[in-house]
Amino acid sequence: MTGWHTLADQASGPLTAAQWKLVSAPLQGKIWLEGVAGGGKTSVGAARVLHLLGRGVPAESILIFVPQRSLAQPYITALRGWTAHRGGQVSVQTIGSLSLQMVETFWFLVAGDAGFKHPQDLPNFLSLELAQYFMTRAIEPLVDQRDYFNSVRVDRPRLYSQIVDNMNKAAIVGFPISEIGARLKSALASGVEQAHIFDDAQTCAVAFRKYCLAHNLLDFSLQLEVFRDYVWAAGLARAYLRGRFKHLIVDGAEEDNPASHFFVNELLQSCESALIIYDRDAGFRRFLGADPDSARSLRDNCDLEATLDETFVMEEAVAALGAGLGAQLGLPVKAERDADPAPALITEAHRYHPAMVDWVARQVDILVHERDVSPNDIVIVAPFMSDALRFGLADGLAQRGIPLRSHRPSRALRDEPAARTLLTLARLAHPHWNMPPTNFDIVFALMAAIKDLDLVRAKLLTEMLYQDCRLLPFAKVRSTAMQERVTFDLGERYDRLAAWIDRYIDGDRVDAIDIFFRRLYDALLARAGFGFHDDVDAGNTAQNLVDSARGFRWSLDFMSRYDEQIDLSQDYVKMVDRGVIANFYLRDWIADAEEGLLIAPAYTFLLNNRAVDYQFWLNIGSDGWSRRLFQPLTHPYVLSRGWPPGALWTEEDERNLSRETLGRLLLALTRRCRKAIYLGYSELSESGFEQRGLLLEAIQSLLRRYARDGQNV
Amino acid sequence: MSLSPDFAFTQGSLQNFADCARRFELRFIRRMRYPALETQDPLQFEKRMRQGARFHKLVQQHLLGVPAEALAASLADDRELAGWWQNYLTRGLSGLPAQRFSEITLQTHLSGRRLVAKYDLLALEPGGSAVIVDWKTGSRLPPQSTLRRRMQTIVYRYVLAQAGAHLYAGESIAPERIRMDYVYVALGAERLSFAYSAAQMGEDEALLSKMITAIDNADEFPLTDDERRCRFCSYRSLCDRGGAGRLEDIELDEYEDEEEEEAFLLDFDQIAEIEF
Ligand code: SF4
Repeated sequence: MTGWHTLADQASGPLTAAQWKLVSAPLQGKIWLEGVAGGGKTSVGAARVLHLLGRGVPAESILIFVPQRSLAQPYITALRGWTAHRGGQVSVQTIGSLSLQMVETFWFLVAGDAGFKHPQDLPNFLSLELAQYFMTRAIEPLVDQRDYFNSVRVDRPRLYSQIVDNMNKAAIVGFPISEIGARLKSALASGVEQAHIFDDAQTCAVAFRKYCLAHNLLDFSLQLEVFRDYVWAAGLARAYLRGRFKHLIVDGAEEDNPASHFFVNELLQSCESALIIYDRDAGFRRFLGADPDSARSLRDNCDLEATLDETFVMEEAVAALGAGLGAQLGLPVKAERDADPAPALITEAHRYHPAMVDWVARQVDILVHERDVSPNDIVIVAPFMSDALRFGLADGLAQRGIPLRSHRPSRALRDEPAARTLLTLARLAHPHWNMPPTNFDIVFALMAAIKDLDLVRAKLLTEMLYQDCRLLPFAKVRSTAMQERVTFDLGERYDRLAAWIDRYIDGDRVDAIDIFFRRLYDALLARAGFGFHDDVDAGNTAQNLVDSARGFRWSLDFMSRYDEQIDLSQDYVKMVDRGVIANFYLRDWIADAEEGLLIAPAYTFLLNNRAVDYQFWLNIGSDGWSRRLFQPLTHPYVLSRGWPPGALWTEEDERNLSRETLGRLLLALTRRCRKAIYLGYSELSESGFEQRGLLLEAIQSLLRRYARDGQNV
Repeated sequence: MSLSPDFAFTQGSLQNFADCARRFELRFIRRMRYPALETQDPLQFEKRMRQGARFHKLVQQHLLGVPAEALAASLADDRELAGWWQNYLTRGLSGLPAQRFSEITLQTHLSGRRLVAKYDLLALEPGGSAVIVDWKTGSRLPPQSTLRRRMQTIVYRYVLAQAGAHLYAGESIAPERIRMDYVYVALGAERLSFAYSAAQMGEDEALLSKMITAIDNADEFPLTDDERRCRFCSYRSLCDRGGAGRLEDIELDEYEDEEEEEAFLLDFDQIAEIEF
């Protein structure tokens, strides 16, 4: 074993001979590495990066390219863990981050040609929330005026997000946005009504694009198009990237989209070494444009093909379960006839959902406290995680002293208590918005804002003192008994809050909304005796809200150059209410650092790409395990690169897709499970309906078949 | 709670420790975000920070090959920034070695920890001089003695000597070849330069090592006794240290570096991306 072998081992533990051969391959040459999950491909990737550095390759010349940031974590961990490194820094990028940096850098050289109306002004890159906001501004008048989408029963933010999605699909596949409607119509329109809907979606996409070009706005689709069609095409950017990145590590190629593959392919032509990692059974991000077939084309530009198919993860019964379920659902995997999957499954049927949740908490308790399993080695997944389910689990586990971390990528910021409190107090402090908070909001805000104020006292204060949209002073409580019941100490703090807001209303300064949040936080809420004092979660949430509001202000400040007059603060709060802004907030400093049992939607867990000892699959009767989201304006397959022009999407296609999607999901889950899977089943769903989805059916048939085959043996 | 094992020290985090141990603890160990106002005039402060960030971006674009005229056309609405830009073009790069790396990050290790520096510009000539350039957009020239003591001066030179060999034709850079230039673009691109030496490097290493060890072994992180340091600190409400300071009193240059570094660390941790 060489010194570098030891070094590379640091990335992931000891390597096998096959892995080491790939890690230590010559510094010139391009390797295509494919295999199944759990085969140790990412370990090879991480060790290869350290190997390159150890061999003196300058860190600046190495690019790690992944479809989304969670997939880069093993690399970042390996790089950080190698404290002895002296030199530069390896780049870790996604197509989103890289295209943004490049468009920003070379903007003034390409903006005019790309059709922007103000090429001498700065570009304004839109986060998803801002893209939805501007989409609303750009097309809502049109939608109202022409009565678009009147037959679609989906709320407007979700409709608009599907239009954004269509535009993104066009950009990543590489067809003009003007073709979106025709592609959808030819495959999906079963009648005039449906055809109109797609026409409307087309008109809206074009209108939004025009609006963006006129206002220097770049949503993801436009950013990507400008990158590919103008920045990359311009010699400077291409020379810069090709000159810089000589060593390429691409992980999760199957989860990435054709635009990324185009870029990787271009770099492959000039780089000295490359390692492209492809998981044969994955491609979970199809709904985000992942295209495993397009990824495969990268293989043609590699010199060496390697496979790692021996999984290091699963015990025999788990492997048999995965293969059996995959085969059952029609995937081209071999069911392992010799091994019985039953020992890998632990289940108990329940009539009601809460009983199932309770059973899950008890089983976790046994694993952790009686069998010494680390909570880090357990995951609880479901197709969707409702707040009620998450709360029920969190409560049951907290009672048993089990630490957990919870991934909530789509949790609305406005639902976080600290954010709700700031928003309520902002409405109170801006009566001219005519958006007075309800009594319920005030009760909630007082409880969160004043330390130790309980629900009963908060209600009393609200009933007695919240009048005409103002908080009256505590002295206005007539009865001394009532004052004593609230306590003078709490009353004094209530008064400080009420007086602060009064002073703000009566003063002549109106702050921008993010500044208002910060001022209130600083002057009052974070002070001793108030609810946010020394509270890490409240501080993080408040900072997220401030960042979101500031991003909004900066984008719109910019618009004022082009004669758009908007009451920024009021618009911000309105958009938060409508679920357009602050609906997704991904930045959370501590989410990844936390330890504990993970509760997450199944795909979120998969995209974290780590294995655990035990998995709990909840709501196995739900058809959410196999059914696509209802998205009447878009379609991940019809708008994909491989969809044949003019072909029809049939019910059979839909059924086959459900089976295949579920099969792949189950195979991927089992490949990330070492010991056993607990199935959470209740006859009645969370909302009280009988459930018999495809997953339940597949498990039952598989077990029946093995029982029968076992008897025959 | 202790510092995460893979924490990377930077000039900013060490300066925070030097200024107030409590602030270091809150920011880097407890990772508390406290969105309080830095100054009494937040919008003016923000405008200055954004101008500074824009200037740094312009230089980066220029050094990557975007022609100066294309960049100048975008400055019509900001005369102050246009003035800085003109000063940069006239004197900012004069006398610097030809091989240039802008916005580059280097890393070394000390006392079992990573030590990272993010440079605005490194201008090197293998076998010749190695110049660190840091753009400053503040309008006050600090005393040379103050700058000499700042962690930025100490960390940047040390890290380059330790980790810059691959940019210097594979040879390690002798400390005597290293110079650090602070270039004040708002003051006609005036330069404050700091040479380096083996003796200075030895002293700096001892100091840095002592600080890192002290942080690693600390049981307590006391509040600073010098309450002037609290005026622009976002944890004032937590420490009960009064209200926000006046914009005129703040050393904007120090903030600019910290903001830049924080944005970079955030990117490094999270890979800024637009998901869809
Ligand atoms: S407010 Fe003062 S004492 Fe508190 S962390 Fe900031 S600088 Fe330190």
